[in-house]
Amino acid sequence: MATGATTMTRLRGLVVIVAWLVFVADLQAQAPQRIVSIIPAVTEILFAIGAGPQVVGVGSYDNYPPEIGDLPRVGGLIDPDVEAILALRPNLVVLYITQVDLTTQLTRAGIPLFEYSHGTLADIPTTIRRLGNRTGHAAEADKVALDIEDGLVGIAEAVSRRHRPRTLLVIAREPYSLRNLFASGGSGFQHDMLELAGAKNVLDGTMRRAVQVTTEMILQAAPDVIIEVRTVERLSPAEIEKEMEVWNALPSLPAVQNQNVIFLTGSDLVIPGPRIVQAITRFALVLHPDAPLPTQ
Amino acid sequence: MATMNNEPTGFTKRPSRRLSASATKAPLVPSADRRWSLRRRLTVALGGFGGLAIITLIVAPLVGPTPITLARVFDTSVPFTENVDAQIFFIARLPRALAGILVGASLAVAGVVFQALLRNPLATPFTLGVSAGASLGAMLVITLGLPVAMVGIPAVPIASLLGSLGAASVVYTMATLRHRGLSTTVLLLAGVTLNSFFSAIIMFVQYSSDFAQTFQTVRWLMGNLDVGGFQPILAALPLLGIAFVMFGTLPRALNLLTLGSDSAAARGVDILRVQRVAFLSASLATGAAVSLSGPIGFIGIVIPHLIRLVVGADHRIVMPASACLGAAFLVACDVAARSVMAPLELPVGVITALTGGPFFLWLLVRQR
Amino acid sequence: MLQVANVSFAYEKHLVLSDVSFDLAPGGLLGILGPNGSGKTTLLRLLGGLLRPSAGQILLDGRDLGSITKAGLAKRMAMVPQETYLAFDYSVLEVALMGRYPHLRTFEVEGPEDVEVARAALAETGTANLEQRSFMTLSGGEKQRVVIASALAQFGRRATDTGRRPVEALLLDEPTASLDLGYQLDIASTIRRLNNDRSTAIVISTHDLNFAASVCEQVVLLRQGCILAAGPIHEILRPDTVKDLYNVDAVVEHHAKAGHLTIVPLARRAIDTPYGHNE
Repeated sequence: MATGATTMTRLRGLVVIVAWLVFVADLQAQAPQRIVSIIPAVTEILFAIGAGPQVVGVGSYDNYPPEIGDLPRVGGLIDPDVEAILALRPNLVVLYITQVDLTTQLTRAGIPLFEYSHGTLADIPTTIRRLGNRTGHAAEADKVALDIEDGLVGIAEAVSRRHRPRTLLVIAREPYSLRNLFASGGSGFQHDMLELAGAKNVLDGTMRRAVQVTTEMILQAAPDVIIEVRTVERLSPAEIEKEMEVWNALPSLPAVQNQNVIFLTGSDLVIPGPRIVQAITRFALVLHPDAPLPTQ
Repeated sequence: MATMNNEPTGFTKRPSRRLSASATKAPLVPSADRRWSLRRRLTVALGGFGGLAIITLIVAPLVGPTPITLARVFDTSVPFTENVDAQIFFIARLPRALAGILVGASLAVAGVVFQALLRNPLATPFTLGVSAGASLGAMLVITLGLPVAMVGIPAVPIASLLGSLGAASVVYTMATLRHRGLSTTVLLLAGVTLNSFFSAIIMFVQYSSDFAQTFQTVRWLMGNLDVGGFQPILAALPLLGIAFVMFGTLPRALNLLTLGSDSAAARGVDILRVQRVAFLSASLATGAAVSLSGPIGFIGIVIPHLIRLVVGADHRIVMPASACLGAAFLVACDVAARSVMAPLELPVGVITALTGGPFFLWLLVRQR
Repeated sequence: MLQVANVSFAYEKHLVLSDVSFDLAPGGLLGILGPNGSGKTTLLRLLGGLLRPSAGQILLDGRDLGSITKAGLAKRMAMVPQETYLAFDYSVLEVALMGRYPHLRTFEVEGPEDVEVARAALAETGTANLEQRSFMTLSGGEKQRVVIASALAQFGRRATDTGRRPVEALLLDEPTASLDLGYQLDIASTIRRLNNDRSTAIVISTHDLNFAASVCEQVVLLRQGCILAAGPIHEILRPDTVKDLYNVDAVVEHHAKAGHLTIVPLARRAIDTPYGHNE
């Protein structure tokens, strides 16, 4: 009877192996091989978690990582090109939850969707993990998310117990002028970035993502530090110099008196994606130059 | 003098004929029984509306989300850079009030002049494409980052001024193409066409810009008096000064222009010169005002009509009175804009539209 | 007073008037008659100095019209257009005062003298009682008379004006176009009175032959920009000239009761067209 038992074991083993093979094959078959993402943050995440080769189309405003190179562009939040998206025969499209029309059209075409919306800092690792599961890169995604979470914790520790300077985070304004100036309000991931980097947002009483700030508001808030964020990479040092001179019109601001007006450029600063730790570190280095921050 | 019983019929040449109409409603500043005195009416009107403008200018800088007191503002013991009240008063609020005065007065008088030039009560300072040109100029700078900065004056106002003058030149050239002088019909058609054309280009530029830029341009289009200092005002002042000097030569000729070109010419008016001066001065005033604050609507059409209701149609009174009321109105709207949702602000153009729009509808209904 | 010498006028290569010549004596009563499109209004505008002739000359007391200042011309010649449409509403007195424009210096305001002249002009046309009324609320006849008063106000002299009073001319374009019979009689009598009392020369451009006959002493017949005939009305206005002018068979006779010529149209004449007769 020993031979019978061995055979049964072998058979059971075989069944397990076959089942596992079927499962894996099935899993691979489920992972979408043709992904379209019109959201810069999501595109970055996809490439960071190893789903890059599966991406067949990106949004018009995506410019990182360089690997997206010559991939076809299919529009963005306001102007998604439905035809171009359909022409790529995707089996997963990532879009904004607010793009109702696009959602309806793609659903009718039977294309699976991943709906995204900008959230807080804490939502970034969550989104990464979700995307990982959806695209069959759960393991890599988890690693990326963990790295981010560790990174965030590291920054928080490095700047803890330090004085938090009152900071104004300027998102946009008219060229060479302080008019029509928009700054980060008390909600949204840019506010979170600022706070994590060890600053106190002077506009944290206003529960909006972006606030149009008047001269009077700035004078009354009297920030110690002003950080201006620009996504365009092409400002020359001379131009930056001229733009910073504009602040001399408000000499009563501590930030102006102590020359704490800083210009930061780069798309990592406004995209809630894999480079977020790098971005927040840049903020933190500005605010706390002597903190034990991991340099990258 | 009377109400406007005649509907604004634009190009229609046939007036409505009413046999033995009833007596007209007396205006609020009636001319005395047998004495006809322009000086007296002018003094009363200017005293009233001018006083209103001055009061508004004095009160406005004191109102705002941050409580300040005049005592602290003028407290010379505290150095300026540390006196927050003084900073807010002199850098934020006073320039705002002054900008409101200048822009309100300019747009109101420009409205009067354009209405007289085009002989159309529905004309506004923006009818002939000047504002569309200004908007396009501003938009191009914001979106394409064109480096148009000059002598410490920022790029956007310069570009919008150039845009408005460019639009005015195009419209003027088209209207004077034929050697017979200036055709107001061609002026109107060219202006309206240019408005549409520029609007299309503006839409295209907005389409190809990113979120931040689109948002910026949309906010610029809503109008903003927060000039943040005296420098923009000083930059606009020479242009506005020239425009107002030219305005000063127009009132009586504009009265006669109401009769029609032929009738005015037969009474000795140099029609071509008057039309040129009117167009140039009103376009210059509008262009400078829009480059200072962005396009703010409803002032150029509501104020002239309101003034005419009160003082009659003599441009010698209508023009200065409109300047004063326009100034007071815009400053008041700006105060409302920054008080209604304090500390956040509504765009001032929204307030002028919300008050001006219903009022204008009421005006139209009242005429029937 | 007015000499029109070989005047031609073209509007953008389209010839409107061709070689027109006639004279207007001081205190004359001239009618320019012709069908629609004959160039009557253009001729009137040329006389008023609003247009420059393409060829020929118009002389006022021997001086070319183009050499007289606008204000100077406006003090001597006034025009009453067919219809006056105001873009904004003015009172009757204000409209009358607009006639004082040529007399005022740049920033001068109308003085009591000017107001008196305006009021006198309104009285002349019987509209003094409408002084405070809004112009837009007047009837057609009242409007026309106020506009005539405004034109007359151009002539009023000030105490400071020196020299002899220059001869004035009033040009009217289709003055009866929008008026009913009653007002037509009013205008006719106003015109005659002006001519009698002030020796104002009158030029009327009209296609209303009967009205012209009731007022004018001289006529100029204009057809397609050319003068058909010119001279005293009794000589010129005849059935054959009416036929030439309007292609209409008419009876032209002196009406004893009315005291002037009357023209009664009878039948349309056949018009020669390129396609043959048209009955």
